[in-house]
Amino acid sequence: MASQQEELSWVDAAKRRWGYRYERFQRGWDQFTTHRLGVVGILILVVFMLWALFPSVFAPHPVNWKAFVGTEGGYLTAEQIRSMPHPPAFGDPFFAPLGTNYNGYGILTELVYSARTALYIGFAAGVLSSLVGVPLGLISGYYGDTWIDETIQRIADIMYSLPFLPLVVVLVAIRGITTTNIILAIVVKSWINNCIVIRGETLSLRENAYVDSAKVSGASDTRIVFRHILPHVLPLSFVYLAQDAAAAILTQAGLAYLGLADFTAHSWGLMLQQIQSQGYVFSAWWWLIPPGIAITLVAAAFYFIGFSMEDVANPQR
Amino acid sequence: MTRISAKYLSRRLIVSYATILVIMTLLFALIRSMPGSFINLMMSPGMTQEQIAALEARWGLNDPLWQQYIRFMFNYQVGNFGWSPTQNVPVWDLIVRRMPRTLILFGSTFVMGYMIGPLVGMYLGWLRGSTRDQAIFTGGLFMYSMPAFWIGWLVIWVFNYQLGWFPSSYLVTKFPEFEWTTWTIITDVLSHLALPVISVTAIAWVGSMLVMRTTMNDVTDSDYVFLAEAKGVPERAIMIKHAARNALIPVATQAIVGIAFILDGAVLIENVFNYPGMGLLLVDAVLNNDYPVTQAVFFVLAVMIVIMRLVTDVAYTYLDPRIKFGEEN
Repeated sequence: MASQQEELSWVDAAKRRWGYRYERFQRGWDQFTTHRLGVVGILILVVFMLWALFPSVFAPHPVNWKAFVGTEGGYLTAEQIRSMPHPPAFGDPFFAPLGTNYNGYGILTELVYSARTALYIGFAAGVLSSLVGVPLGLISGYYGDTWIDETIQRIADIMYSLPFLPLVVVLVAIRGITTTNIILAIVVKSWINNCIVIRGETLSLRENAYVDSAKVSGASDTRIVFRHILPHVLPLSFVYLAQDAAAAILTQAGLAYLGLADFTAHSWGLMLQQIQSQGYVFSAWWWLIPPGIAITLVAAAFYFIGFSMEDVANPQR
Repeated sequence: MTRISAKYLSRRLIVSYATILVIMTLLFALIRSMPGSFINLMMSPGMTQEQIAALEARWGLNDPLWQQYIRFMFNYQVGNFGWSPTQNVPVWDLIVRRMPRTLILFGSTFVMGYMIGPLVGMYLGWLRGSTRDQAIFTGGLFMYSMPAFWIGWLVIWVFNYQLGWFPSSYLVTKFPEFEWTTWTIITDVLSHLALPVISVTAIAWVGSMLVMRTTMNDVTDSDYVFLAEAKGVPERAIMIKHAARNALIPVATQAIVGIAFILDGAVLIENVFNYPGMGLLLVDAVLNNDYPVTQAVFFVLAVMIVIMRLVTDVAYTYLDPRIKFGEEN
C-alpha cells in the first residue's frame, strides 16, 4: 500500500511540476500552428534533418559512387570524361537524377550528404550565439544603467561597427579553414543581436511586481534572473536562434564561394565553389540550381519558423 | 528646431572616435596573430640570414610590441597605411582608387533598397492578411534566404547571357569600340553597375520591408488612424500621410543593421562581378597573405560603418520629434 501511495504522489508531483509547463507549451504550439508559414518551415526542416541523419536512405548512391565506374573505382575513358558534367540521366548510361559534376560524382548524392554540414553549422552557430548572447543580455538588462550594463553595451557597440563578412573572412584565414572555426567566427559577431534584444526585454520585465516580491522574499539575483526572468525571454531567444542559424548557413555559403570552405566536408557552398572554379556556372544548370535551392530552402525554413515564433513570443501582441 | 544640441553631437563624435580607436587596437592584435610574417612575401629562397634580419629591422619588426603599437596607431590616424608587398604600391593609393567605386555600389544599393523596401512594406502592412500580402511576404523571405553570389550568377545568366542587356563584369568596357567622352563614360559605368546593384538590392530590400510591414500593422490600430477614417479622409491619404510616416521611424533603426548587411552583400557581389572595389581587394589580399592591405581595407570598412551609424543616429533624431537628446528635459 505504501508503495502505491508513494507512486501516486510521485505522479502528482510530476504533474504539478510539468503540467502547467506542458499546457503553456501546448498554448504556444497552438498559436504557432495558426501560422501556415511556420508549419511549412518545420516541414522543410524535418525533411532536411532526415537527409542529414540518414543520407544513405535518401541518396541514390553511396557517397563515393562515380558515374560509369560505380563504387568499385577505376578509370573513365576519354569519351566518358568528355561527357562530364553529365546532364540528368535516368538509367541509360547510369542513374543520376540530377546529373553529375566534373568528376562524375552524382549531384543528388552530394546534395543529400551535404545536408549534415549545413544543419550542423546552422544549429551550432545559433545555439552558441544564444548561449553567449542570452546570459549577457539578461545580466545587462537586470543590472540596467549600472557599470555592468554600460560595459556590455559598449562591447556590443564596438562589435556592431565591425563589418561582418570581412571579420569572418579574416578570422577564418587566421585560424585555419575548418567547419568549427567557421562556426566560431560567425558566433563572434552574431551573439550581439540576441544580447541587445534580450536586454531590452529584461529591462521591461524587471519592473514587474513578481520580481520585487521575489527580491523581498530573499531570492538572490542569480535566482531571480534565471528562475523568474529567463522563462519569459526564452521564446524570444528561440526566435533569434532561428535567425542566427539561417544567417550562419548563408555566411558559410558565402565563405565557400570566396574560397574559404572546409574541403574535407561535403557542403552546398563547396558544390557551388567547385562549379565556379571549374567554370561550368553557365553550362551546367543541374549542378548550379540544386545547391542554391537547398541553401535557400533551409535558410528560409529557419526564417519562417523565426517569424512565426515571434508572434508567439512577443508579449506585446 | 534645435533638437540636436552641440553637446549631443560632440558626445556622439567622441564616442565614435573612441570606437575607432578600440577597433584599431583589435585590428592590431588580430593581424599580429595571422600566420607567417609580413616580410614573407619579400623574401626569396636565395636570401641569407643577414639579409632577412636586415629586412626585419627595416620594417621595424624587431622593435618592442608597444612601440609597434604606437607607431601603428599614429600612422593609421594620419592615413599612412604602409606598403603593399604584393602589388608594390602604397596601400593608400589602392584604397583611394577602390573606395569611390564601392561607395557608388553601396550607395545606389542602399537608396534602391530603402526606396523599394518601405514602400512594399507599407502596402503589405496595410493589406495584412490578404493573399497578396502573404505571397509577397513569403517571396521576400525566400529572396532574403538566397546566397548573394548565387543570385549574382542567376542575374548574369538572365540579363547578360540570355538577354544581353548589361555587361557582366568589370567597371568599364575593356576594349571599347567607342570614344571616351563624358557621356560614354557615364553610360558605360552605369551599365556595368546595373547588374551588381540589381543583385544586392534583390536581398537588401527585404530587411526594411519586414520592419515596415510589422510597424505599419501596429500603426493601423492606433487612434489617429481611426479618427482620420471617421473624418472621411481617403484611405490612400491615411495610409501615406498618417500611418506610413509614423511607421518609418523603426525603419531608421533597422537601417543601422541594414548598412552592415548591404556592405556584406557588396563585398560578395564585387567578387562575382569582378567589380574592382574594396571587397575584391580585401578577398584578394586575404588569399595572398597581403597583411598591410587586409588590415587597411578592414579598417576603412569599419570606419565607414562607424560614420554611417553616426549619420543614421543623427537622422533618426530628426525623424522622430519625440526624441530629445543632450538636454535635461
